Amino acid sequence: MPEVLLIVGILVAIFVGFNIGGSTTGPAFGPAVGANVITKLMAAGLMSIFFFLGAITIGPKVVNTLGQELVRDSSIFTTRSNVAVLFFIGGALFIGNYAGVPASTSMTAVGAIAALGLATGELDWAVMGEIVVWWIVAPIIGFWVAGVVGRYFYPRINAWIAIEGNDGGRQMITIDYSGFVPRLRFGENATRREISGAFAVVGIGCLMAFSSGTSNIANAIAPIYGTGDVDMVPLILIGSAAVTVGCFTIARRTLDTLGNDITNLPLTAAIVVAVVASAIVISLSIIGIPASFVVVATMSIIGLGWGRATRTTTLSGVRAGEETRVSVGALTAEEEGEQSPEIGEEEPEDIPKASDLFDPSTTARVILMQNVVPAISTVGAYLTFRFIPIFGF
Amino acid sequence: MVSRVLVPIDDSKMSERALEYALEVYPDAEITVLHVVGKPSQMWGHATGLALADDLEDAAAEHAEPIFDRAREIVADAGGDAELETRIELGNPARAIIDRANDYETVVIGTHSGSVVDRVFVGNIAEKVVQGSPVPVVVVR
Repeated sequence: MPEVLLIVGILVAIFVGFNIGGSTTGPAFGPAVGANVITKLMAAGLMSIFFFLGAITIGPKVVNTLGQELVRDSSIFTTRSNVAVLFFIGGALFIGNYAGVPASTSMTAVGAIAALGLATGELDWAVMGEIVVWWIVAPIIGFWVAGVVGRYFYPRINAWIAIEGNDGGRQMITIDYSGFVPRLRFGENATRREISGAFAVVGIGCLMAFSSGTSNIANAIAPIYGTGDVDMVPLILIGSAAVTVGCFTIARRTLDTLGNDITNLPLTAAIVVAVVASAIVISLSIIGIPASFVVVATMSIIGLGWGRATRTTTLSGVRAGEETRVSVGALTAEEEGEQSPEIGEEEPEDIPKASDLFDPSTTARVILMQNVVPAISTVGAYLTFRFIPIFGF
Repeated sequence: MVSRVLVPIDDSKMSERALEYALEVYPDAEITVLHVVGKPSQMWGHATGLALADDLEDAAAEHAEPIFDRAREIVADAGGDAELETRIELGNPARAIIDRANDYETVVIGTHSGSVVDRVFVGNIAEKVVQGSPVPVVVVR
């Protein structure tokens, strides 16, 4: 009987992995697919590979936190309770994926596991507190870093990276299978600059996929690891395989819904956000903290736009940096990249209006709503473990 | 006699109905359609995308144009030769509508917009407009 339940548990873990693949491919490869640089199929393939790399290298730290440290006694991860925990994680994520509401998979998973700990009185509040503090601090860091970039550096970065999405026709990067060895093929008439831009967009997708692997593999496998019945490496292999299935199936939908909102960003902005958010998530994974990727990314997006929208006057500190701008300007002058207007010299009348786009109450609402899916999994799991007496607690 | 009517519109069926209703009930009024761009979205990509545009006004107009085209079609279908005024505002939809409403005698608005995502992330705009508007509001379903 326990063997049967273990298998059911692994099946539900696969369901969770499947939904993780679905929910993270959109934000990671939305820009690349949206700009018609690669196909959805190729995005799914790259997502699977880099997710696995992140999972197998840094992922185990977060698995340890969730599977052994978050609860004082990991014997509460019975094969039976695991099925329920994973069911709530997977179910809540599925609802989010289906409705197009992005949700942090880590928050969803920590919520369900913490609910189990709470219902059994085994939750380690010190570990929980540390995680929650990072959930608050990490998005604030993302907001400020992106805000500074948006305010002072964005036009320059934009001048370096002159990538335009190419509309219609073949993707910028495809694989040519006709030869003996498959080779990369680039769009017709693509200049070197466009090709490097295309690589940048694909590269940041891979970076985000890697960061997702470091943080999110734990969400699918930590409870099963907590039982001690299965070793880390086989679990990571199973989890990553499930994510791969999600990438190739449900991600087609999320690329259209979740990925769509990120493709509203210029590609330069998508790159900035990806770098900032991935750096934060990977750093947190290294210290074993499951990071809330979606919230960090969203706050970085808000920060970038807000920083850009609220620049008004020339700051003397920025003036001091003018020499560097001149050399950058000289570099870009030979290509068709946009000239960056100097800070303070852009037309003043169209600047203050943009700040209307960043209304505190509506941004707060968006962040709050991203917590709906984790809340569903937490409350659902708590009520189940507290009041349904089949788990033997 | 109502002579100046504000009809806030988006891409939803309900706002089309609101415009049709306004054309039918106030045939002689001067109707202004208002579209708010940069509304809240799942990961705030929409608003930030606009904020990063080289020319905010151009970018906003580009977003609003298909919506206004549809509005003009509706006016043409209603057989109206009414001059349709168009207006673009930025940011929080309910607040933008309420701020503008003072220049008009009535606001005609659809009950809700179509998608689940809008309901979750934007909330019910009509409800907030009813609460905050300085002029009478007609809610069309």
